Amino acid sequence: MIRCDIKACTGCRMCEVACSSRHFGAVSPSLSRIRVAKLEEVGIELAVVCVSCLEKPCLACPNQALAVGGSGQILLDDGKCDACMECVAACPIGAAGFHEGRPLFCGLCDGTPSCVAVCPTSALSFREDFRDVRLDGFVWPGSHPAQRRARYARFHGEPLRAAWQNGARIDS
Amino acid sequence: MTVYVGNCLRVDLTRREILRGRTAEDGIGARTWNSHTLMRELKPGVDPLGPENILCLAVGPLTGSGLIATCRFIASARSPLTGYLGDSGARGFFAPELRWAGHDQLIFTGASDRWLYLWIDNDRVELRDASHLEGLDITQTTVRLREELRDPDLQVAAIGPAGENLVRYSIISCNLARAAGRTGMGAVMGSKKLKAIVVRGDRAVRPGDPARFEKACRQLQANIEGHPEFEARCRYGTTRIMDSLANMGVLPAYHYRSTVFEELEKVNAEALRRGHIVRSKACYNCNIPCSRYNYTSYSEGEGPEYEAQAAFTVKCGSSDLELAVGVSNAVNRLGLDCISTGEVIAWLMECRHEGLLSESDVDGIDLSWGSREALQQLPEMIARRRGIGDLLAEGTRRAALQFGDAARALTAEVKGLEMFSADPRGIKGYALMNAVNSRGGDHYRGEPMIELTGDEELALKRVGNRNAAHRLREEGKGALVSYAEHLGLLSDSLTICKNISCCMDAVDFELAADAYSGLLGKDVPPEELLEACARTSRVEREFNLREGLRPEEDTLPRRFLHQPIPDGPSKGAMVDIGRLVGDYYREKGWE
Repeated sequence: MIRCDIKACTGCRMCEVACSSRHFGAVSPSLSRIRVAKLEEVGIELAVVCVSCLEKPCLACPNQALAVGGSGQILLDDGKCDACMECVAACPIGAAGFHEGRPLFCGLCDGTPSCVAVCPTSALSFREDFRDVRLDGFVWPGSHPAQRRARYARFHGEPLRAAWQNGARIDS
Repeated sequence: MTVYVGNCLRVDLTRREILRGRTAEDGIGARTWNSHTLMRELKPGVDPLGPENILCLAVGPLTGSGLIATCRFIASARSPLTGYLGDSGARGFFAPELRWAGHDQLIFTGASDRWLYLWIDNDRVELRDASHLEGLDITQTTVRLREELRDPDLQVAAIGPAGENLVRYSIISCNLARAAGRTGMGAVMGSKKLKAIVVRGDRAVRPGDPARFEKACRQLQANIEGHPEFEARCRYGTTRIMDSLANMGVLPAYHYRSTVFEELEKVNAEALRRGHIVRSKACYNCNIPCSRYNYTSYSEGEGPEYEAQAAFTVKCGSSDLELAVGVSNAVNRLGLDCISTGEVIAWLMECRHEGLLSESDVDGIDLSWGSREALQQLPEMIARRRGIGDLLAEGTRRAALQFGDAARALTAEVKGLEMFSADPRGIKGYALMNAVNSRGGDHYRGEPMIELTGDEELALKRVGNRNAAHRLREEGKGALVSYAEHLGLLSDSLTICKNISCCMDAVDFELAADAYSGLLGKDVPPEELLEACARTSRVEREFNLREGLRPEEDTLPRRFLHQPIPDGPSKGAMVDIGRLVGDYYREKGWE
């Protein structure tokens, strides 16, 4: 799956531009399957995208419209989806988008993700065997996807901030 | 998902009425639209801080597209600092969001009698009460709005206490530290009692001719990544120029009394990176993370860029870099322009050094060179208009009137706008740019950067004169500044970062025309873009003449004309302003 190295992410959102351009021929974060959570007041940025978590709560689709692909990506059967958006609401880290009545899941661009290719600091990386992430600790009923992305980024930023507190600087 | 260009929202703050309209037909984007709007709609001679002033905030057709670094908005109004055209741009992420919301220009008229913010959720636009935000700094305002609207991805452009208190050099800032900093646009926003603009945009920017547009995008990316300064800009951003300016002998040490700063290695780019930088940061869709996040023992924030770094160290005679970083963070939060604030403090220190002030003049604050007390206390006092801060909030030109002719002779401002942190005597193109451009003492209107790199071939290519690349020569500078101004206007209209377009020469009119044509899906030749910029340049000059500008104001402070640089590699340099300005007027075809 795609991972983001929080130390290297500059928050530029070139990944969002690449994603929406590749799949829609247009630029908008609302069309991107990867979204950058920016916590400006604490200096933390993190690109958030489906991590093919162990729990996969999105699969509890009432219409069985979702399945898991060979690389761990979530596949949508468009004919079965009735736009209930329960999958979008279920993702603990807000990594499922929606557009024109359909959920948007990262499909890994058939193994050559555009976001990884464009990332100017190589913060994003892709490996088939990144499949060990647990997200059950991030479940937050009643929240919005953007809030969940932000909380996920804040969690990953804590060790970084602790290091700064202890004197770590960019080159150390 | 369509190409949409030219949607304008007219927000009457007196009547709390919002109307939809179109941007000026004869513009190509942000600054051209704003300048034409002000020329047509603003009555001459109005109080810049009264309800009759008009505040325009615009993006351009390329903003929020896939073209690298098209991330800026331009805010324009009659400037409370200069009385002439005020405008300033901010990078970051606000501008693309406004574009995705479907609005290309906001025009604010009138003034509210209580604090409001404008909430733009795509097509839904409303004015909301902001009385609970009064007095909050820019970080607090932004965080609060994102919390109460339950969306941490919202983009917010806000003013701080400085803007609320009508400090004449207050800023409009987005992403906490991305400022439309110059000419006091924050004060105009404050005078209208508009605390913030909050945007959410979900629409998309789709190029009309994808092949042509993609080609331009790839070309720009190649120009940037192949540039000899690419690595250094990724590593240090603008702070890298402190060493280069020191090597040229144009650092403004001790407020232009010297170009040599003995403790340079304590305050330069490497010292900053080593001691206080924890992270690289980039603006929207940019492959150069030229910005940095700082973390010190008592504050944190984005920046500083070169101007804040130099203003609060070298210019004020301080080698305490951690203090300067803290001041930069404070100034950003308070909503003050770091250039004008640094210049005000450095000028006061020089006045004190010359014995022109007594301590009672400045509330007993120690104003010796590098004074920690002054650097820590004055920004807060200015933003809150406390004590001497109330006078300093008026800018150096007005403040100097209180301190007498000798103090006035030490100011470094043009038309009321405080100058940057470099000595114009050793860089003649920048000297001319500061003297003549349409917003007063400013280097960033367009960057005559060729004279800093000394690239003769590029000078020949751009302005037909190899001499223009020589920073100590007057030859060719009229053409160089005119070219740089047009490229600056192009960048301010298409909202491309000027560090990339102007300072790195990574964009020219041909590339811009490809991107613009590709986005719009119709052929617009480079000559047409150039003509649009030249036309706006004339309109801006006419605007300033209408507001009372006299040609003799196209000059620099006396010190740069009559006192040679005393030391360093540019020792002996002075500015022959008559020759430079005459050359520029000839280039423009002016009398």
